[in-house]
Amino acid sequence: MGYDPKNPMEGRITDLGPKYYGDMLPPVIKENKGKWLYHEILEPGVLVHVSETGAKVFTVRCGSPRLVTVSYVRDVCDVADKHCDGHVRWTTRNNIEFMVDAEEKVGPLKETLKGYGNSFPIGGTGASVSNIVHTQGWVHCHTPATDASGPVKAVMDDLFEYFTSMKLPAQVRIALACCLNMCGAVHASDIAILGIHRTPPMIDHERITGVCEIPLAIAACPLGAIKPAKAEVNGEEIKTVKVNNERCMFCGNCYTMCPAMPLADPEGDGIAILVGGKVSNAKSAPKFSKLVVPFLPNTTPRWPETVEVIRNILEAYAKGAKKYERVGEWAERIGWEKFFEETKIPFTDKSIDDYRLAYDTWRTTAQFKFTSHTAAYTK
Amino acid sequence: MAKHETPLLDELEKGPWPSFVTDLKRQAETKPECWDILGQLELSYKDRITHWKHGGIVGVFGYGGGIVGRYSDVPAQFPGVEHFHTVRIAQPSGLYYTTENLRALMDLWEKYGSGVTNMHGSTGDMIFLGTRTENLEPLFWDLTHDLGQDLGGSGSNLRTPACCLGESRCEWACYDSQEICNHLTQHYQDEIHRPAFPYKFKFKFSACPNDCVAAIARSDFSVIGTWKDNIRIDQAAVKEYMADNAEYPSNGGAHKGGDWGPFDIQKEVIDLCPTQCMWMEGDELKIDDAECTRCMHCINVMPRALRPGAEKGASILIGAKAPILDGAQFSTLVIPFIEVNKESDFEEVIDVIEKVWDWWMEVGKNRERVGETMQRVGLPTFLSVMEVEPLPQHVKEPRSNPYVFWKEEEVPGGWDRDVKEFRKRHAA
Amino acid sequence: MALSVEEIEAAMIAKAEKSPKPQLYIKDFYACAPDMKPREVKKIANALVTKGKLMFWSSGSTTMYAVPSRIKDEEK
Repeated sequence: MGYDPKNPMEGRITDLGPKYYGDMLPPVIKENKGKWLYHEILEPGVLVHVSETGAKVFTVRCGSPRLVTVSYVRDVCDVADKHCDGHVRWTTRNNIEFMVDAEEKVGPLKETLKGYGNSFPIGGTGASVSNIVHTQGWVHCHTPATDASGPVKAVMDDLFEYFTSMKLPAQVRIALACCLNMCGAVHASDIAILGIHRTPPMIDHERITGVCEIPLAIAACPLGAIKPAKAEVNGEEIKTVKVNNERCMFCGNCYTMCPAMPLADPEGDGIAILVGGKVSNAKSAPKFSKLVVPFLPNTTPRWPETVEVIRNILEAYAKGAKKYERVGEWAERIGWEKFFEETKIPFTDKSIDDYRLAYDTWRTTAQFKFTSHTAAYTK
Repeated sequence: MAKHETPLLDELEKGPWPSFVTDLKRQAETKPECWDILGQLELSYKDRITHWKHGGIVGVFGYGGGIVGRYSDVPAQFPGVEHFHTVRIAQPSGLYYTTENLRALMDLWEKYGSGVTNMHGSTGDMIFLGTRTENLEPLFWDLTHDLGQDLGGSGSNLRTPACCLGESRCEWACYDSQEICNHLTQHYQDEIHRPAFPYKFKFKFSACPNDCVAAIARSDFSVIGTWKDNIRIDQAAVKEYMADNAEYPSNGGAHKGGDWGPFDIQKEVIDLCPTQCMWMEGDELKIDDAECTRCMHCINVMPRALRPGAEKGASILIGAKAPILDGAQFSTLVIPFIEVNKESDFEEVIDVIEKVWDWWMEVGKNRERVGETMQRVGLPTFLSVMEVEPLPQHVKEPRSNPYVFWKEEEVPGGWDRDVKEFRKRHAA
Repeated sequence: MALSVEEIEAAMIAKAEKSPKPQLYIKDFYACAPDMKPREVKKIANALVTKGKLMFWSSGSTTMYAVPSRIKDEEK
């Protein structure tokens, strides 16, 4: 018996919570939990963890698109049933990890994975570009300024050699959020791809009465650019809002609170690139990503401008950074003026903060480097 | 459902990275509504704008979270995605699955939904992407009765807690991140399923300062593993690293593909230590642990020689969020060290959580994350709410302005003065 | 004199019926039970949802409360 719409509350079960993780662990993991001594990345995408008991677990890591179907997950299950006694896990960066308890099981597992064509690329370990964490984009979200899965696919196709190798100075974490809400929390990534709007909201006076709580829409604006107003709809005066476009910072928070204030636009929307963030506490403290490219167009279907900018940044970093240096640590060591010179990204006023706490980012020292940017002063 | 032409999306079938378009087309053979997903997405690629409407009021009865409503703005053209609601399924801590459970979940989703998922959503849940309103209750019934599992959080709820894989497969874990994550997820089922707060609230548990779940950047309540004694050194292994033994690759082999030359402990470890608290004495590596800030760099580079200390626990940092609206915030250190103790049912951590909640639910404005409330009232006020003595560890540096909010009781004689008495001695 | 749970429930429903806008934040209910901790107030509000007297209204990121009949009116 299943759900009975006539008696929806009868036999209802709630608040079970998730499956207990302990029931999901492969035996070798369960037996050695808390006993691991060290690990080694044997080759790109293949790790071994060694326990104090002498047990070893070998992990093969594969990229996945995150947006996957039931059929794809069943393929994953088939591989895990064949090689991993019916266990598998995902990483926090949308990689899939297949684990086996003996080295001789790694080769056959890899062979099986290769048999699935492009589905399960092996890599994403160590000094690589690991999988991109990203949001929904046009496939499911109502507020995006760009797509998510498409640009991710295009960027990963281009950077594939860096996913399957470990030749960079350090790991490079790329993330994409399709609007400023940043469900993907890209604000602390080595390279962040961020969907942005550049058109202020339109006001749909005919819709606003039914769908909006006007005080909430007004309060949603961080810059006080939304004011109460009156408009005439079908000969009747209604309460609505007006927007001071000059003050709009295109955050979209008003649209989140009020569906009658859409701001998406094919020409206005696009991508900003922010770089140099990190989450780990290793060496330097966690850092926010900084805006270096204010706008790139949504050139469907493969976002060539975005792909090119990211490759340029990555190659300049690979060339210039020292071993262990993250993108942000490299940029800080050489100075951001040098970062713009090395990456050949044009510096614009859009990279100078004029929002809150902006002064923290202004240069208040006579120490700087002369670069091409200062040529007009030094010629 | 008719198959749609997708010339733009077809371009995303090229290249070496797995293609979601290829995957969706394959799924469309058995789930025809996938053609409408592809069709509507193709239209978005043509129009360069989303075709999803603002959310709606959907959910399962009695829950205020776990389902996010979504409707197409071109339903006549793509009837298969007219309703396209999201279902969040709470994930097992550490994202391990048995194929038995995964297959059961996929069967459920094939029966009631589009067959499209996210493995996983940003917060950590498994996401079922796209179903109709009338399928929600039957899906929830089967999920709870047949699979024995449950939805995750959305809206002004506690969002599904998430953790790194911790002790299950990592030698650096300083506490059992999976166990506390699972325990608190169960303990706070009411807060996850029913709205409780001025806005969303997230827990994330990283078992060491490498912070693999990005707790410090993404969670209101970040629990980050650390230790209070000395880094454990295996001097014999240090010598193997220095001798460039192939079984002791630097950084656990993370740099194997680069041409970085032989391992140089001075350059790669000692000189990169942020506190300069390491040195060689003969062929022994020395660490002045009192100066160590436990950043993990040396341990990351020489995992066979160095390990976190044996007296382990966690630091609690509070208040991270993405930039909307006043700018991004990392979590701020509040509790330098706390034991994360299963024997006490994590009571010590729960006390801290509930102190935050009791205060934030009272003082926090609608749609204000706790980090924003902390900014608004100031860190000194927040620390006093938390009953935590102010420490130099709570700041990067002391303030540089002198505008202290002195309290009356801190000034001898108080603030109550008589201006007439004052004027007897000081002519106006 | 602390209010009984029944009195608090009645005050909450009255507030949700009379407020100018149908959706209320949980904070709007705190005044109905001035002696209670917010988490206790929240439990009472959520119990009213289970009883069908109130319903959740969610924007996806924010969840509010409403009297079901008033929301149905708006849907039209």
